[in-house]
Amino acid sequence: MDHLVFEVGTALVLVAIGAIIANKLKFSIIPFLIILGMIVGPHAPTIGIFDFTFIESNEIIQFLGRIGVLFLLFYLGLEFSVGKLAKSGKNIVVGGSVYVAINFILGLLYGFISGMPWMETLIIAGLLSVSSSAIVAKVLVDLKRTANPETELILGIILFDDIFLALFLTTMSGVLLASSTSFLGIFTSVLISVGYMFMFFVIARKGAPLLNKWLNIKSDEIFIIVIFAILFFVAGFSETLHVAEAIGALLLGLVFSETEHRDRIEHLVVPFRDFFGAVFFFSFGLSIDPATLADAIWLALGAALLTIIGNFVAGMIAGRKANLSHKASTSIGLTIMARGEFSIIVANLGITAGLSPILTPFTALYVLILAIVGPLMAKESKNIYMFLNKFFKWSKDKEKRKIEVP
Amino acid sequence: MNIRESELPGIGYKFEIITKNQDKLVIVIHDDGRREIYHFDTDDHEEVLSSVTFNDSESRQIAGILGGMTYKPKALETVDFAFDDIIIEWYQVEPNAPAVNKTIGEIDIRNNFGVNIIAIKKKNTQKSHNPGPDTVIEAGDTLVVSGGRQQIKELIKKLLST
Repeated sequence: MDHLVFEVGTALVLVAIGAIIANKLKFSIIPFLIILGMIVGPHAPTIGIFDFTFIESNEIIQFLGRIGVLFLLFYLGLEFSVGKLAKSGKNIVVGGSVYVAINFILGLLYGFISGMPWMETLIIAGLLSVSSSAIVAKVLVDLKRTANPETELILGIILFDDIFLALFLTTMSGVLLASSTSFLGIFTSVLISVGYMFMFFVIARKGAPLLNKWLNIKSDEIFIIVIFAILFFVAGFSETLHVAEAIGALLLGLVFSETEHRDRIEHLVVPFRDFFGAVFFFSFGLSIDPATLADAIWLALGAALLTIIGNFVAGMIAGRKANLSHKASTSIGLTIMARGEFSIIVANLGITAGLSPILTPFTALYVLILAIVGPLMAKESKNIYMFLNKFFKWSKDKEKRKIEVP
Repeated sequence: MNIRESELPGIGYKFEIITKNQDKLVIVIHDDGRREIYHFDTDDHEEVLSSVTFNDSESRQIAGILGGMTYKPKALETVDFAFDDIIIEWYQVEPNAPAVNKTIGEIDIRNNFGVNIIAIKKKNTQKSHNPGPDTVIEAGDTLVVSGGRQQIKELIKKLLST
């Protein structure tokens, strides 16, 4: 009998339970769903009519997860407009460059030292450099840090980081998905993806008035069909040019972000992003064989430690350059170190291209560690600052003020 | 007063306010409609002392109160102010109305009608009260209520008039 819907339904129930528990514990749902996927999956037993191996439904769950990636990156594209970055100011550009440079270089060094081939090294450097917009924004809101002086800089660095992600993914998908292995072949392939990206930039700049007119659709029903049709078509078409489908979605989001329909599309996409995104994290967990985790544990721990140090230093430099206090600067690095969705997407690109299978358990562990440690560090940033202050003497202890009682 | 605005991408919009006597307030408007107010230490503008969160309709009511819009000229019995769908209205409780001599908690106005009682002016003392669930409604009291126009109409028809 065909239990497909029932299996997918069971998977979604698990996802929902995971999401509820994560929310109860005030945690990001990303690590929860990955662990959940790892626990069940092909290695889980079948209990009665409940089939937790999801073998029959594996393909469809993976496909729903793939849609999740499209929506995640489409939304990312919608969120960052070129105009926004242009007016974001010097501090963010300086801070963002420092942040990306430090993390990327550390990642490259780490890849070389641990003896990875250079394609894997590039992927590792990339996934070490991109922080999780979702987790960081959630941490800021949950810890009630939105009012703090460093918040704008944190969000600015993340915006910058996202743009780096776009450039990185585009170039890397050119490198990795090239059909040839010769230098010239790879070079042409990169040229195609960069040219493809440039084409979208031109459409975004010049085509906005025309798109405004075309997308001026009153009916919500037709609007949603048109948007989704374009999204899937462009994403799929990109794949035929050896540009990852996720990049197609991202670039399309970028084009739409320049139109006046941006808010309407954003509104419409958010529920789909949340739903399919959750399935994506779960399906990523499903693809991991818990037995392979042991091989990657030291590699992941080392990378996580490196990220913690690198982020702290980068945050300190960025904050001090922007004339923030040592205390605020400490909190910058400790807040942006969370890793999540984008690191997995970078790793996925490498895996699709057939790179070393160790990338999957490595990324899973790395993301799990930092998705849990990152928010904890952010929460404890005040205590960490006080502790460091004992050694660095950034500020004198404030004397207890006396309140005169008349 | 010094106000600085900035955008928080992915979260919302932020207003930093430093008043004449160096009090620092930050108001964050989240994209989902929530508003938060943070109050900072006067001596250390990086240290948050307290914060409050309001939903959209609460914020509108509080904005009205802060803006002085709920002040009611004594001569008038019913005046209302509209903020989009929420209105604030004054109504004097009629003698023998069903709500007379009941506490606010007893009638459970908020749950039954979706209307909030913001203030009560007692007939016998002529003083304004900040009402709680134990406050007794008496004939001749003036209630200041906020809510949807239709809901307030219904409350008045069912409980406050004879």
